[in-house]
Amino acid sequence: MRADRIQAGAAVADLADDRAVGGPDGELTGAAPVPHGISEQFVDSDHEIRQPLAGQSGLGGPGRDGMPQRGDPAAVELLEDQRFRTDASDGRRRLIIPLDERVCAIVGDMAQSSGLQNPLWRAIAVYRIAALVYVAVLVVRNVGAYERPMLAWPVLAATAAWTVFTTYAYAVPTRRRPPLLVADLLVTMAVLAASLSVVGRYALEQGKPTLAVAWHVAPVIAWAVAGGRRWGIAAALAMGATDLIVRAHYDQAAFTGTVLMVLAATAVGYLVGVAEVSQQRLERAIQLEATIRERERLARDIHDSVLQVLALVKRRGAGLEGEAGELARLAGEQEAALRTLVTGRTAEPVDEHAEVDLIALLDPYASATVSVAAPAGAVRLPSRVATELAAAVGAALDNVVRHCEPGTKAWVLVEDEPAEVTVSVRDEGCGVPPERFTQAEKQGRLGVAQSIRGRITDLRGSVRITSAPGQGTEVELTVPRASIG
Amino acid sequence: MVVDDHPMWREGVSRDLTAAGYDVVATSGEGRQAVRIAAAARPDVVILDLQLPDVSGVEVINGLLEAVPGVRVLMLSASGEQQSVLDAVKAGASGYLLKSAAQAEFLDAVGRTAAGDTVFTAGLAGLVLGEFRRLAVEPPAADGMTPKLTERETEVLRLVAKGLSYRQIADRLVLSHRTVQNHVQNTLGKLQLHNRVELTRYAIEQGLD
Repeated sequence: MRADRIQAGAAVADLADDRAVGGPDGELTGAAPVPHGISEQFVDSDHEIRQPLAGQSGLGGPGRDGMPQRGDPAAVELLEDQRFRTDASDGRRRLIIPLDERVCAIVGDMAQSSGLQNPLWRAIAVYRIAALVYVAVLVVRNVGAYERPMLAWPVLAATAAWTVFTTYAYAVPTRRRPPLLVADLLVTMAVLAASLSVVGRYALEQGKPTLAVAWHVAPVIAWAVAGGRRWGIAAALAMGATDLIVRAHYDQAAFTGTVLMVLAATAVGYLVGVAEVSQQRLERAIQLEATIRERERLARDIHDSVLQVLALVKRRGAGLEGEAGELARLAGEQEAALRTLVTGRTAEPVDEHAEVDLIALLDPYASATVSVAAPAGAVRLPSRVATELAAAVGAALDNVVRHCEPGTKAWVLVEDEPAEVTVSVRDEGCGVPPERFTQAEKQGRLGVAQSIRGRITDLRGSVRITSAPGQGTEVELTVPRASIG
Repeated sequence: MVVDDHPMWREGVSRDLTAAGYDVVATSGEGRQAVRIAAAARPDVVILDLQLPDVSGVEVINGLLEAVPGVRVLMLSASGEQQSVLDAVKAGASGYLLKSAAQAEFLDAVGRTAAGDTVFTAGLAGLVLGEFRRLAVEPPAADGMTPKLTERETEVLRLVAKGLSYRQIADRLVLSHRTVQNHVQNTLGKLQLHNRVELTRYAIEQGLD
């Protein structure tokens, strides 16, 4: 596994602009010097895409600095095609797709700040400020009972200053690291400890509040958000212990305060953990989707070349005798099959209105003898209606196959109007003279027609079957669109 | 003139055309180069592969129509009828054919394109039909000119989309072969005109004029 050659930065599609992946024109760009931070996926000559290693992807902020440099250019040899490289170590050709650097930047940002982080930090700042106000009010009310009232004001000022400082400091994601967190905890503990001398043991034992009442919870929550449950609980215990020691008033209320802190830390830490996990899952899903899209893009290119060659073979060999002619005919069939496979639309996932693109359901019927003509966009219908309609079309086509000569051509036309959707199935004529149409065959054909009719009338639609001499049979299925709302 | 990025295709098509009596004045493998060469060679018909490496089919068609006004463009595509084909037709192509079409069909299509007719596949007719329907339900353009098909034209287009040949359509609707062809051509003309008007209006709005 070429782990050392895989660049950090995820292979993630820019969510807004599909063309960002794979270069400005959506095409495979040449292998010009690739700037730092661009991720590469490798494709074997048998068209297998290797995934970049998750651990190497550099997600999670700090890891980006430690990214491995791009593989040694000497080991890479540019072929005239510029899209392929021969890996000197094992001589295999690889297809390189450089991704846009800004795409990686977007992912990096996403990784560092999961959706919940910034709001939580803002909440902590707001809490701290509110608690500061509360502390100020209490100090003003109780200063008369303090042992050293004069010292209360400098301590309050320091508390306010620290509040302002942390509000700005925590606003920057890169600063939410151990140094600041530890400083926060220590400063808060210091303020708590200052209560011992400022408020005085006597007042505290009387139940007077400390100088950091409620304000001292802020760093605990900060630890919980920054480091999860464990850090949060540790901070809660440390702060709780400090609080109890300072208070020297051991009653139920005192312990309750600490217990509440521990609970809060646990809850917030758990919440942050859950958010991180879902963020990672989202990133993995995005990465996977980008990989799949890249693969599809590649596949389209490759399929196109294959289609061209098959069409060429069919052309050159048409009219040749013997095996060559047979090969050409086979090539033609495969070309038609591959073309429908390649251009067939993927049936979209069922959304909350349970709608499906009808054309995606009808595309599989296309073949060398069946042509499907449809509008360019999707034709959305409720899932049940679409599947029933597609089944009816299938039955009509089956009918042609069963009752007509092999190789009879059929055409399917999908028409999308505001009030209704019409699908017409026409065959070019059975080639069976009417007099040879036995009673049984007739009944067979009519029988199928009945089943089609039944299906469509269930959908409150209508069926019209017309037959023109020398112009085959046409089955027209019309289904009304249910009005929305 | 033959424009295709696959050398074997270029040669094959050129050979077939020469054998059928046409004069191949130029070939090219790239879009931009093709437009340059066309300006000099001035072909009557251009056989254009939609999937070129450097520019989109629409851009090549625009370039060709600018370089050689009145040139007829027959598009070839390996991957079948999709939005890209519709866009190319709107931009001014005269016809479309799958690369896997039989040689006889191909030569017939070239002949018809040279004569000024449009070459439609059933799939393309379906796309065009859908496009007119889509335009009909969208909010009307600022000048109120949404292209509309007459009933006859719609009928003819539907029958083309269902795989009938022009002869068969003429029989069914009791028209002459020529009339059917005219209907199809008018349909395409309306679409192309609307596209040009839209583009001009957009350019003026954006101050690009």
